[in-house]
Amino acid sequence: MKEWHKHFDWLLLFCWGALAVIGLIAIYSATQGPVSEFLPSYIQRNFSNQLTWIFISAIAIILLQFTAPRSFQQVAFIFYGVCLFLGIITIFLGTEAGGATRWLVIGGLRIQVSEFMKLATILAVAQYLTSRRDISAEKLGPALTSVILMVIPAVIVLLQNDTGTALVMLSLIPVMLFWSGLPYGISLFIVSPAIIGYFAVLNWQWGLIVAIILTVGVFLIQRRPSLTMATFIVGLLIVIGVQVALYQILQPYQQARIEAFINPSMDPEGAGWNVMQAKTAIGSGGVFGKGFMEGTQTQLRFLPEQWTDFIFPVIAEEFGFIGAGLVLFIFGVLLLRLLNNAGDHKHPFAQLVMVGVTGIFFMHLLINIGSATGLFPVIGLPLPFVSYGGSSFLANSIMIGICLNLRLYQRTFTTF
Amino acid sequence: MSLNNRVQTSIKVLQGVVVVVLLIMVGRLIQLQIIDYDKYGPLSQQNTILQESVSPARGLIFDRHGQLIVNNEPTYTITITPANFNQDNIPLLAELTGRTEAEIVNQLNLAQSYSWHRPSRMFTEVDFEIFSAIQENLWRLPGIGHQVDSKRSYPSDVRASHLLGYLREVTEQEYRRSNRYRMGDRAGRIGLESVYEEYLRGETGTIYQRVNALGQTVGMYDEGEHDISPTKGADIYTTIDRDLQALAEELMADKIGGLVAMDPNDGSILSLVSAPQFEIDKLAGKIDRDYWHSVNVDSTRPMFNRAISTQQPPGSTVKPMMGIVGQELELIDPDDTVYCDGGFTRGRRYHCLDSHGHQNLADALTNSCNTYFFKLMNDIITEYDLNTWYRLSSDLGFGKRTEIDLPYETTGILPDSSYYDRVFGANMWGPGDLINLGIGQGSFSVSPLQLASFTSLLATEGSMPKPRLVDRLVFPDNTYTEIEPSFKSVDWLNDRHFDGIREGLIGATTEGSGRYYLEFMDGFDAAGKTGTSQNPHGRNHGWFITYAPVEDPEIVIAVLLENSGFGSVSAAPVAALLLEYYFNGETTHWIKDHVLNFEPTDEPEEEEEEVIEEHIP
Repeated sequence: MKEWHKHFDWLLLFCWGALAVIGLIAIYSATQGPVSEFLPSYIQRNFSNQLTWIFISAIAIILLQFTAPRSFQQVAFIFYGVCLFLGIITIFLGTEAGGATRWLVIGGLRIQVSEFMKLATILAVAQYLTSRRDISAEKLGPALTSVILMVIPAVIVLLQNDTGTALVMLSLIPVMLFWSGLPYGISLFIVSPAIIGYFAVLNWQWGLIVAIILTVGVFLIQRRPSLTMATFIVGLLIVIGVQVALYQILQPYQQARIEAFINPSMDPEGAGWNVMQAKTAIGSGGVFGKGFMEGTQTQLRFLPEQWTDFIFPVIAEEFGFIGAGLVLFIFGVLLLRLLNNAGDHKHPFAQLVMVGVTGIFFMHLLINIGSATGLFPVIGLPLPFVSYGGSSFLANSIMIGICLNLRLYQRTFTTF
Repeated sequence: MSLNNRVQTSIKVLQGVVVVVLLIMVGRLIQLQIIDYDKYGPLSQQNTILQESVSPARGLIFDRHGQLIVNNEPTYTITITPANFNQDNIPLLAELTGRTEAEIVNQLNLAQSYSWHRPSRMFTEVDFEIFSAIQENLWRLPGIGHQVDSKRSYPSDVRASHLLGYLREVTEQEYRRSNRYRMGDRAGRIGLESVYEEYLRGETGTIYQRVNALGQTVGMYDEGEHDISPTKGADIYTTIDRDLQALAEELMADKIGGLVAMDPNDGSILSLVSAPQFEIDKLAGKIDRDYWHSVNVDSTRPMFNRAISTQQPPGSTVKPMMGIVGQELELIDPDDTVYCDGGFTRGRRYHCLDSHGHQNLADALTNSCNTYFFKLMNDIITEYDLNTWYRLSSDLGFGKRTEIDLPYETTGILPDSSYYDRVFGANMWGPGDLINLGIGQGSFSVSPLQLASFTSLLATEGSMPKPRLVDRLVFPDNTYTEIEPSFKSVDWLNDRHFDGIREGLIGATTEGSGRYYLEFMDGFDAAGKTGTSQNPHGRNHGWFITYAPVEDPEIVIAVLLENSGFGSVSAAPVAALLLEYYFNGETTHWIKDHVLNFEPTDEPEEEEEEVIEEHIP
């Protein structure tokens, strides 16, 4: 292709590279700094491992640019099937880490299948919804089929005790359906339980107020009394359900986690420990931070899982508001750029893939940083490209690579 | 809505959601990092800086010659921080400490109920071998720590449990009231440990260490610039004579009673023993619950300090005081005699041990003639009244605390009219209750310390030093505070009051009831007086007071042996042996054997000392 570099999305690649470098710096500080003497040797190897994975991922991105966009459509269902199969195997044969069975060891290589399952689901749903003209999320049958396509991997991941990833997959449902033609009102209706639920956990009055606001919103957008009623009733049930769940259904340790989220200072040495330590790390960073490898919370290991789930507090502590803000800014550029690219693209498959990838990254960002800053209960999810983790980095990079590819070939890749 | 329009709108909606969420996150960062910075900054400091108190070394206790009697000994403690402890290590820990796994689980649960994130003492006073085994394996036992504590040890033969006292953990009230104590600190209970607590204790130091979340120390904070090192407590140089005290304890073993030896010239206590003693070693470290219980239910009350807290009738040891009071009131003259026909009659017969014939004051003291003192007491209450006797006796130190530097000292009982009014009722008592006071019976009671103090007055003929146990406090910077002797003066007292008394007391140890053992001892001369105090509950209590040498007294001793019968055979040899040791540096074997194997008997050797009439109110 002539002048390919004019069509290539250098900005997106730059964001990928910038996040990878920031991640490397943070992982270095969290595992190679003064803290290293308290870490087992396999964690001290994290930095060089990550470097290797970034290198592999870079090659994957480059190779992907030589692929025809159509091949993603062709492999979508096969890839999806393979991932489901491996996912099920993982439930039975996987190795445990932190209470979750996530790892599948194949030939000495530890693979986290669920990371790839996210990509597989996006590809499969995108392929399904755009395969024939008569399939549209506006119709009940196809909508239900795509929901099932997304629920199955979510259930498999849930059986691996990986709640965070399951949550991310379920969040794909409204995003994908919304994009492929589901009316705005119904989309809001689908999203409303999550939003109401969040506020209901904080405080049931707030949950009720949010339910009413969303009901009004649904009515204003759609003006269908039945849908409006449904939104309100579901909202009400969620508020009640959350109260019942909080005090009747949840296991004590789950209750403690929620409790710790609502009021971390109540038990600063128990369940609230992680939240308090993460918030303290972020808060004590101030505007400019304590300096590279100078963060006391990080170097003295007050932060749990500081190379994966709690890597954001490491950056916030050592590089302050400037560093943490920069991370958010780069993510903002990346997400908005992906959405713009989706809007520019003429092919619905490409649009859906890009929107789906955006949704995945967005949910990771939301939950990871929300957990670290105490906006959400602690749910273990890596921050894309920044947290340590080979499978995660490679899978996320492949998603970026595919988006770059779809962008690069958008003139030739059309439905007609 | 065209397809393209819908796409563009959807893009705007999604981008709007992304922007809103990112703005919320930025807002959260501003809140945490900029607005609340003042809150989280210090919080991270607290987190990483462990402020640890360092207990100061407690001051040591020495005897009057600078010999060590109370020392500190390190003890080894294993601690556990439950949050960091890995349960898989229970078998390893059990193996290293030589305990069962059940014990370890039990201690772990106890520690958990105290705190998950703070270290608790798991095993205290472990052997050094176990301690070093733990130390070597610390790296594979996260959550396990160790520390060196200290406890009191007693390197000499001196135990002096009542005198020295012991340490116990401070109560919650105490450490809340005072910022000098932390939970788990120990403070002196009873004895010198308690009275001089604020000097012995020293000042707690503080060190600031950088720690990680596992509680591991990773270095000093600011290179120790903010650390305050602990200040060692002051050493106490007591007035106790270590060897004399050790002998006194040996002689008092298996007996019940109290003993005080002091220097009459400055009030220095040379020896102070209460028998039975409790085993001070067993209370030095972690408490032996069985022992603690047994001591507290023991009918002989080992925790009770009989040297200063018990009150018993002084018996005949009070007769010298009667002589002084009688002369002050000009009722007797040392040379005047009283005829003893075996008793005194007023309303009824008050018996003497013998018919002594004509007795002057010195004879009456030498022979312990009751008739002389019955008559004197009768004259006092007839010519004057009980309260005159009370006032003069009180001036001589009876019925009052000597104000020795030990807690729980008794005042004894010196009865006056209001005492009798209270006990018997107004107008319900008369001379029949008072005449006995003249020979130290009835309601009159004293402690061994009071008698020792009074004997000092006899020895020095007029000066009564305040008893003191501490000569000087030596601070870590080698400055010291000397505790100056202080003296009580009795304004009406002068030399003539002692006429005949010294002679009588010398007579008592050479030809009277105090002579039996002293006459076998050479190298010093002693004056003294025996006493037997009436005990309505059992065998009588024996007393002996003495001072020596007669011409220039250096030491006075008062001994009380409860339920031992006559003072002449029970208490007197104990004092005699101490005098012998004090002056000659050795003891006569057969007398020591007699004391060590003493079996009280109701039959006095050779002659009865006095016949005690039953008290008739």
